[in-house]
Amino acid sequence: MLPENLTAVVARNESWIGEAATEPYEAGWAKEAIVFVRALKQPKGPLPKARVEISADGMHWCHEGSEFALPASKDAVTFQRLAHFGNFVRVAATLPDGAEITLLVTLHLKA
Amino acid sequence: MTDIDALRRAIREADPQLSRFDPLPRIICLDDFDRGMCGWTQLVGNYEETLDAMLPGYAQHSHAMLSTLPNWDFGSHGGVDGSYALKIATRPKKGAQNVAIKRLTFRKPGPIRLEAYFTFKPEATDLQLSETDIRSFGFLYDLQIGDTSGPGDRVMPHLRFLNAEDGQHLQKWQFKRRTTPIKPIGHAGKTITHYHLAPDDWEDLPGGEQRLCYNEIPTKVNWHYLRFDFDLGAMQATRFQVNDRVFAMDGFDCIRIPAMKNLWCMLNLAFFAETDTDKRAFAYLDSVCLSGEF
Repeated sequence: MLPENLTAVVARNESWIGEAATEPYEAGWAKEAIVFVRALKQPKGPLPKARVEISADGMHWCHEGSEFALPASKDAVTFQRLAHFGNFVRVAATLPDGAEITLLVTLHLKA
Repeated sequence: MTDIDALRRAIREADPQLSRFDPLPRIICLDDFDRGMCGWTQLVGNYEETLDAMLPGYAQHSHAMLSTLPNWDFGSHGGVDGSYALKIATRPKKGAQNVAIKRLTFRKPGPIRLEAYFTFKPEATDLQLSETDIRSFGFLYDLQIGDTSGPGDRVMPHLRFLNAEDGQHLQKWQFKRRTTPIKPIGHAGKTITHYHLAPDDWEDLPGGEQRLCYNEIPTKVNWHYLRFDFDLGAMQATRFQVNDRVFAMDGFDCIRIPAMKNLWCMLNLAFFAETDTDKRAFAYLDSVCLSGEF
């Protein structure tokens, strides 16, 4: 049987300001992932790096160590490769005052 | 019972995966989430030109997960059979909903049977039983007659287990006859929308009170069996069973709206969860068996 392979849209047309994160996603079956982030509208203000976070329970989160740029203009795309992330995974960012980005975040997971 | 029925039954009862179901002669799908998502996906709302056109009820939906039901206090719970179940998780906001859907069409407007093993729990953010934190778990069909079978309707049978509302532990099955007004989307005249899972217009299923096992801490679950029989010819429900209880369906009806120009022979099935507090609600399925007589 072919290995499992899933595209999961974890944030669609969500506007991020301040402390923001995608909903917890369980992907313990996957050995690798790529996170894609696309800006659906022109972002406002200075954009911070996005960070990948992992969790034992979906409630208490640790910075996994990966950081990547958020897309700087409408329809721009950024991504981050991931491996060895346990079960729960999410993308988070801390946006400064005046910054806002409307996102499409997808996880591409492979067993 | 004919010889072929007896043979079919014997073969199925000897198969541990099928033995816990009572399918009609033809199995349309048997979705064991140890084989992946099995065609269950997000219920995305309709839109044209911009995602901002999507109704908020749909905008909140996210992708279901393959889950081992992991818990902070005792680890993975696992499924009925195997490691994985399908998990439907809401956002942590009172009234939030999420839906997983499978989209098919039918080849004969006859009897179909939906069977599933399900359970639900809130996210275990408190060291409390939290038995009133989940508002509901439910399921629905979205159906329409064939293009030459008309006139007819688009028919949407809905059932939910109203577990709790505003902190009251209600534990009863409800159904729905009404959806929100149909709203055009965009300017091309091709797309409309309505939110059939709006919190209004649920009605109690007569005799539909049921005390389901919910165990004693916020992380332990027990699996429940459900079976819903529906006749695609008459577009009527014929039987509904959960665990040991069979409910009379004479008081049940479906949402019925005019047939749409693009949905002929549609056979969609969906499961959903709703939270009653600012805490995520989790509904789990392992497995789902859809069968038919054709």
